[in-house]
Amino acid sequence: MPARILKKSWFIKSIFFISAFIILVIGGITYRNIEDLNKSSELLTETYELNFKLEQIFSHLKDAETGQLGFIITNDPAFLKPYESGRENINNSFAELKELTKDNSALQDSLKTLNVLIDKRMDSFLKSFRFSSVGNYNDPNFRENFLYGKNLMDTIRSKITAMIDRENQTLNERQQAYESNLKVTPFFLYLVLLVSLLLMFLAYNKIISDLGKLKTYNEQLEIFKESTKQSEVISQHGNWILDIEENTFTFSDNLYRLLGEEPQSFKPTLENFYGYVHPEDLDKLEKEVHKMIKNENLPFIYYRIIQKNGTIKHFKAYAKLHVNDDGKKQLLGITTDITDEIEHYRILEERNQELERNNKELSAFNYVASHDLQEPLRKIQTFLSRLEDKEYDTLSDSGKRYIGRINIASSRMRLLIDDLLQFSRTNKTDKVFKITDINSLLEAAKQDLAELISEDNAVIKADDFPAINVIPFQIQQLFSNLISNSLKYKSQERTPEIHITYTKIKASEDDKLTKPKKAYYHKITFTDNGIGFDNTYAEKIFVLFNRLHNKDEYSGTGIGLSICKKIVENHEGYIMANGQPHIGATFTIYLPA
Amino acid sequence: MKEDYIKIILADDDEDDRLFFTDAFDELKINTRVQTFKDGIYLMNYLNEDNVVLPNVLFLDLNMPRKSGLECLKEIKKDPKFIDIAIAIYSTSASEEDIEKTFVMGANIYIKKPSDFKTLKKVLSEVVTINWQYHTNGLNKENFLLRL
Repeated sequence: MPARILKKSWFIKSIFFISAFIILVIGGITYRNIEDLNKSSELLTETYELNFKLEQIFSHLKDAETGQLGFIITNDPAFLKPYESGRENINNSFAELKELTKDNSALQDSLKTLNVLIDKRMDSFLKSFRFSSVGNYNDPNFRENFLYGKNLMDTIRSKITAMIDRENQTLNERQQAYESNLKVTPFFLYLVLLVSLLLMFLAYNKIISDLGKLKTYNEQLEIFKESTKQSEVISQHGNWILDIEENTFTFSDNLYRLLGEEPQSFKPTLENFYGYVHPEDLDKLEKEVHKMIKNENLPFIYYRIIQKNGTIKHFKAYAKLHVNDDGKKQLLGITTDITDEIEHYRILEERNQELERNNKELSAFNYVASHDLQEPLRKIQTFLSRLEDKEYDTLSDSGKRYIGRINIASSRMRLLIDDLLQFSRTNKTDKVFKITDINSLLEAAKQDLAELISEDNAVIKADDFPAINVIPFQIQQLFSNLISNSLKYKSQERTPEIHITYTKIKASEDDKLTKPKKAYYHKITFTDNGIGFDNTYAEKIFVLFNRLHNKDEYSGTGIGLSICKKIVENHEGYIMANGQPHIGATFTIYLPA
Repeated sequence: MKEDYIKIILADDDEDDRLFFTDAFDELKINTRVQTFKDGIYLMNYLNEDNVVLPNVLFLDLNMPRKSGLECLKEIKKDPKFIDIAIAIYSTSASEEDIEKTFVMGANIYIKKPSDFKTLKKVLSEVVTINWQYHTNGLNKENFLLRL
């Protein structure tokens, strides 16, 4: 979000600069236009002045001519006055004209020609005076001179008119140029003004929408701040900022609460904080804070604090050095109250120790079962066998019967102990998996039960197995237990038959596997033609000490199938039973492929 | 006087077991001399006596006070003068670890004490009549534990 705002500020800045540039351009253009206008009016004045002076010169010349005529007619010298002053006035006017036209060489040339003509005219005046002073008006020279004067006067007139015309023409041309300039300018100015207005409007819009967004962000930030505060309270942590150069601290409200104080109730300084730290942990904490300031990446710091009411709390802190754009160094830290965690950990530890003790007791029990319990039992049985051998004949009938019962009871005791031992051995954690030829394991299991199998004339047919990664002796045990289970619950009406099949299956294609962990399984089934069982007990038969039959009918301990289940579970597999009373039972084993 | 008999020694702390053992040999029609010791210390002291007649077969219980069967086995196997003694482990339990350990340490056969006197007699007669030379050559972990 900040990057986006920054981008927008660039946009606004560029709009501002463009607008400023446009205004400068407008100013420049306007200035130039006014300058043009000024120049055009100056030019006009100049031209008028020039024309006026030229007319004036001509009028002085006319005055002089009129004066000459008057003098010639009356011979009164009073008429000569305008002639004399005319000459002076003309010179003055010429000087002014020269000044006016000092930048214009063409005009100056014209003026020079004009000056020559005027001088000639003046000479002709003088000649005329000479003739008139003698009163010889009929002299042909006088006439000629008079006519010459008149002609000169005409030439001067036409020359002046031509000059004025040319000036007027230049004026017109220049004014036209200015006018066309001035005609385009307002349109251009208007356009530029419109564009800058548009840009300003855009900028205004942007600023307003950015302000709106900023407001939203601010609100979000406010919400975030609130939720952070809440999460601090709930997860029992507080955060702090240490400004390294200024050595000032900022504590979050919850950090005060963790110390057992009201928020902002004391000045947040390192020294004040150290006041709460457990004296035994203070040294360590000070050193670690020092390390943190030196930007060493530290693991969590653990220490204790003592609240004012004496409660000891366990804190865990982590901090990271943060250097901002101005090179200001700050230590940003989080401190968590882990008293509960430590308490839980302690309880867990206690439980673990208890469990360990229990485990030790269990293994001690195993030892007792395997050695100490077996020993007296073995002796009872051996003495019994000796009694039967040596003293049987001396016993009464009931004595013999008692001996028989003792024998049965002790045999059962032995069976129980053996099975229990096996069950607890299956528990063992040191399971070593090995790629093993399953066929040979089955063969070995059959070997274990060779006597039973031949006694019952049992038929065992098995598919060919691949080598599978298993705990060999456990799988052999599994096979042996399943076969002996089938033989134990054989039907009295037929020869026991056990069919063992093997298939490799895809877990998703087998509807019996409800929550398979692996994709493929080895599926092994043991199907017998024994007495079977009611399927309502399909789950129960795997439970330890669970028996479906009275022990007088079938000699079971209720452990064998529990061992099977445990073995299969050790392999992360599944075992299921399916029975049909009087027809047979099927045990299905799934081992991960 | 030199007689053709088999000398047998049993080290076992259990009095009843020693009784069954001697009784069984008494009833067996094999010419044997049976001697028993009640722990490993007595046994080793005897074996280390000068001019001792070493047994042909030594039956060792594993759990004995003071010096266990395993310790005796270790000492005997270390000493070349006992090289001809056949050692039979004679124990209540037949745990995998015990079998494995004693096999590795060089015992010749492992017997789980039977819980029937007839079986005991059968086992003992089997063991003392074994051709040890032949048995030891073909010894492996599978036939180490005596099965009847």
